[in-house]
Amino acid sequence: MSTFSTERQTPTTRGGLPAAPSGGAQRPPVPHTWRKRRERLTAGTFMAPAVLLVAAFLLAPFVWTIYRSFFSDSRTTPFSWFDNYSLFASDPALARSIQNTLMWVVGTVVLPFVLGLAIAVLTNATRWSRLARLCVVLPYALSGSAVAVVWNFMLTTDGAVNQVLTNLHLDSLAQGWLLTWPGNTIVMILANAWQATGVAVILFLVGLQSIPPETVEAGALDGAGSWQQFRHIILPQLRPVSIIVIGMSLVNGLKSFDLIWVLTQGGPGRATETLAVSMYNETFLELRPGAGAAIAVVLTVIVLAASWLYLRRQLDVKGE
Amino acid sequence: MSVSRVLRNGTVVLLALLWLVPTWLLVVNALVPSGSYTGSPHWLPSSFGLFDNMHQAWDKAQLGPAMGNSLLYAVVSALAAVVLASGAAFATIVMQVKRQALWFWLIYSGTLLPLQVFIRPLFLSYAKSSLYDTQIGLVLIYTAIAVPFAFFVMRNYALTLPREVVEAARMDGASWWRLFWQIHVPLSRSAMIAVFVFQFVAVWNDLMFGITLTTSRNIRPVMAALADLQGNYTNVGPPVVLAGALLVSLPTLVLFFSAQRFFISSLKIHR
Repeated sequence: MSTFSTERQTPTTRGGLPAAPSGGAQRPPVPHTWRKRRERLTAGTFMAPAVLLVAAFLLAPFVWTIYRSFFSDSRTTPFSWFDNYSLFASDPALARSIQNTLMWVVGTVVLPFVLGLAIAVLTNATRWSRLARLCVVLPYALSGSAVAVVWNFMLTTDGAVNQVLTNLHLDSLAQGWLLTWPGNTIVMILANAWQATGVAVILFLVGLQSIPPETVEAGALDGAGSWQQFRHIILPQLRPVSIIVIGMSLVNGLKSFDLIWVLTQGGPGRATETLAVSMYNETFLELRPGAGAAIAVVLTVIVLAASWLYLRRQLDVKGE
Repeated sequence: MSVSRVLRNGTVVLLALLWLVPTWLLVVNALVPSGSYTGSPHWLPSSFGLFDNMHQAWDKAQLGPAMGNSLLYAVVSALAAVVLASGAAFATIVMQVKRQALWFWLIYSGTLLPLQVFIRPLFLSYAKSSLYDTQIGLVLIYTAIAVPFAFFVMRNYALTLPREVVEAARMDGASWWRLFWQIHVPLSRSAMIAVFVFQFVAVWNDLMFGITLTTSRNIRPVMAALADLQGNYTNVGPPVVLAGALLVSLPTLVLFFSAQRFFISSLKIHR
């Protein structure tokens, strides 16, 4: 099922290599160590570019951001312990940002999961429904920025949604969708679900196709209705895929930036910021890099915790 | 039975139509000639102004250089990341370097961290080292950001390759370099293509590095240009902005549908 594992490369396969200690025991000692050293050098040249690039461009900035988060943003930037982190308690914009991030996480986990599962299951059986599935998968090929452009067109004051509402004589419901909280965050979560459900559909279809049809047929012979078949036969076998979908959506929800940035830039005021957007605003617009660094670190901790839950479950699944 | 079937098909049709509405409006309104757009969305295509709208978007947001840049960034970075990641995967799995867990986490950790944690240090050091607002600067960061996930996939794929081939070649005295280029790379070709497609799309769709590490219109990538066009929404008018969005999405749309097999296989390896 899962190919992910760090423990997989056990020493058992190592004996097969010509250069392994067991195989080299009979050889004269001098060429052996020379050869080994050369081999390590070769391995080093294979590893070095990837390791150096990641270390220089990702890990070093990461460490620097952690370091910076402990220094205040006043002119002399003195060491200030956890002052930047205490902003989460005192700054209302950051409190709102946390609230929004939570809403995003719930929305991006629940909506693509439920809709993706439903669409995959409903369109798996019949041929004509491939077309229906295509409609849902299509937006997945758009970028976050393009999705923002499309939904801006839907949601602006003279946009398509308000036009439909007016034509249905529901003028009272027509509104500036992106102007008031929490409505603006909710419609953006829906826009995100419009895009992100496609990948969930694809993953669930792959999962459905790997289910042996005999298990479902056996259930049908035993008189299980279609709901019972789904609930007791199909759903349990989709567990590994479900974990992947939830994990991916969770992390993507936490990291979502493009859609919000292009639609509202976190505004009006700072009402639609998530942590990812707040970090950017604090750092580059409010020019408070210390606060921005603290937000980045908090976001990292949350993302790592979420990824850890997801990766740990993945290891579990493999171990079963 | 038949009631549930009607219910089921009805749900499918309803969901599909709901999903289709924004896509439909995107296409229809990108077709409306921008001069004759009256302020409210069109629901049916009337006349064909798509190419003119795209042309306007192309001029006003300078999409031409932006798309050229993004093509360069996406191809070079994805290719470089695939090769570097394959090399690292080869060293860890086939050559069996010591401390594999350390190397694995050192590289793989890059894909777990949110981009926000890299951005300001990169911005500052780019400004200092004159990488800021250069094509090479963007290629470097896009490659670095693509390597960890590419490594993860290539490493998992390498675990599934038969060891006997490598051992036989080693017995015959083939060097590691030859082994890598003539045996390992051809064997992992399908995974490499999947990773390339995945990373190409990721780089093409990136916004954040584009708006942070560039300013010039002839350096910035395509999504930064699109965000700029969207910022001029009221000036240029909805049809032009939508046509621009459609235009910049064409490469990934084409790639998505022509390489769907690879997309799905890249998703599969993700597990």
